[in-house]
Amino acid sequence: MWNLARKLLLHDRLRFAVAIAGVSVSVMLVLVQVGLYFGFMDTASSLIDASRADIWVGKKSNDSFEFATPFDERTFYRVSSVRGVERTQRVLINFAQIKLGNGGDLGAQIVGIDMTPGVKPMLAPWNVIAGDAHRLAEPGAIAVDKSEYPKLKIDHVGHATEISGVRAEVVAMTNGIRSFTTSPIVFTDIRTARSFMPQLGAEPVTYVLVKVAAGESVDAVKARIDALPHLAAYTRSEMSNRTRSYWSSRTGVGAGFFTTAVLGIIVGFVVVGQILYSGTLQYIREYGTLKAMGARNSAVVKVILSQAMISAALGFAVGAPLAMGMRAAMKGANLTVALSGQLYVATLVITAVMCAFAALLSIVKVLRLDPASVFKS
Amino acid sequence: MVAVALDETLPMVGPAQATLARLVGVGKTYGTGENAVAALSNATLDIRAGEVTLIEGPSGSGKTTLISILGLLLTPTTGEIWLEGRNVAGLGEKQLPALRARNFGFVFQGFNLFPALTALENVAMAIQMKDPKARDPKGEARRLLELVGLGPRLHHLPADLSGGQKQRVAIARALGGNPPILVGDEPTAALDTKTALSVMELLRELANHSGRAVVVVTHDPRLERFADRVVRVEDGFIQAIDSAGSHQ
Repeated sequence: MWNLARKLLLHDRLRFAVAIAGVSVSVMLVLVQVGLYFGFMDTASSLIDASRADIWVGKKSNDSFEFATPFDERTFYRVSSVRGVERTQRVLINFAQIKLGNGGDLGAQIVGIDMTPGVKPMLAPWNVIAGDAHRLAEPGAIAVDKSEYPKLKIDHVGHATEISGVRAEVVAMTNGIRSFTTSPIVFTDIRTARSFMPQLGAEPVTYVLVKVAAGESVDAVKARIDALPHLAAYTRSEMSNRTRSYWSSRTGVGAGFFTTAVLGIIVGFVVVGQILYSGTLQYIREYGTLKAMGARNSAVVKVILSQAMISAALGFAVGAPLAMGMRAAMKGANLTVALSGQLYVATLVITAVMCAFAALLSIVKVLRLDPASVFKS
Repeated sequence: MVAVALDETLPMVGPAQATLARLVGVGKTYGTGENAVAALSNATLDIRAGEVTLIEGPSGSGKTTLISILGLLLTPTTGEIWLEGRNVAGLGEKQLPALRARNFGFVFQGFNLFPALTALENVAMAIQMKDPKARDPKGEARRLLELVGLGPRLHHLPADLSGGQKQRVAIARALGGNPPILVGDEPTAALDTKTALSVMELLRELANHSGRAVVVVTHDPRLERFADRVVRVEDGFIQAIDSAGSHQ
């Protein structure tokens, strides 16, 4: 069946090329759109995913990770005293204006972390490619991602600037840490962060990061913290999913990307369906002859399904490298297309299902084909 | 005389003159009530091993309906179809493909060969589709193509074959699975006279040497010399069954 299906497809090479082009575009659109979506979601939760905390604690009223309202230092101590907590660290996240080299200002997402000397921070800049992140404990020290250098008019580690009128110096450069909000992420010590954002009041804290003591259940400790007034505790993965879900649903970004992906599937479906159907019509007398001579419907259906599967496989083989090329091209525009093995497998399955459904019209045609019709020419 | 490489090992499908299929009082009516049109009425016909039967008649006379019913492609409104020792007229679509595969091979005016497949592949694929468990479809296809004189053209595409050669491929395809009855629907209509006669000669030889029954619908009276019997159909009725027997 495979051999017959392959030869029937290849007999009209132009039509076959159109079918493969249709499937390839479909595969590429699905991979790139879903990959972009996952890339954005990875970016949205990257700070949480990169942390070493077992539990994130914030205000119960918080909707968004980035736009969370702070509480004061006393809450930090209340969380620290909960049974089963090994240690805690403070995080302050908010926005401040950073002075640009050309005299302008740009909003930046300030991430203030606990850089207590001798204690490994549960959240710290990663992928440091220049400078020294340990120096963040120094007053005014900041770390900025390489991708934000052009936007911030920064060209080297050691560059001095101002944030909210307070002197700041770039002491470390990272690679690949980007904000979902498009405002550059600026890492600094929480004390420096507080000086950048005096409007937040005395000793503000946005999140408390919790390390659970050995032998304690994370869920049990989380429940105890949750019982504290006005606080909500989430495991790291819960916090990550919550943030992804917020950006996906509140901004409509999820619907946007998936709509384009579905459009890609529809394009592939229509092109393959049309090609298979016209091919079936072209050979309808031959199929009728086979049915007249006793070929079962299942045998003829297998030929058509085999054509659909060949189109799916070849379309995927062409479309997947195209998506990889798009990923490389988009990297230059600071866009992350997250193409995982699971996404490739899922897209292959979707492509196969799409092509199988596209073959339905052809299958119905041959199933309804009256073998006696071959006598009627 | 066209040389036909008849294979002496081709099994006889039945003793000469044995009845392979029988139509008894078969009729086919399309539509109901005032719109009813009788395409065929009260047709009775024996199909015998080793015989070539021509079915002749003007267009619209019921020839196609007759062979469609004989070939189990059309369910009669009335009458019986005897095959394999039983009346199969009432069988459903589930049982018919296997029955057709065992008993009939079909040859058409338009050849109906897959243009993307070589002669060998066209025949092998039909054998495999008739019987997915066939042991060596390609070997069987090669043997049948050699039988119809196409040994040197096994790997040619239909586009590279003459009309007569294409029809021989179609005949080889019809022989796949060794059915006892070959049914031809104007198999020579698209061929020039010389080629048409050579194709009929091949069918005649197949009837003689392998004991197959060959039933051919035709408008061409020149083919009568290859026939044992000529069935004349007019206005939905079998008007006459004449013995020809000129081949002997």
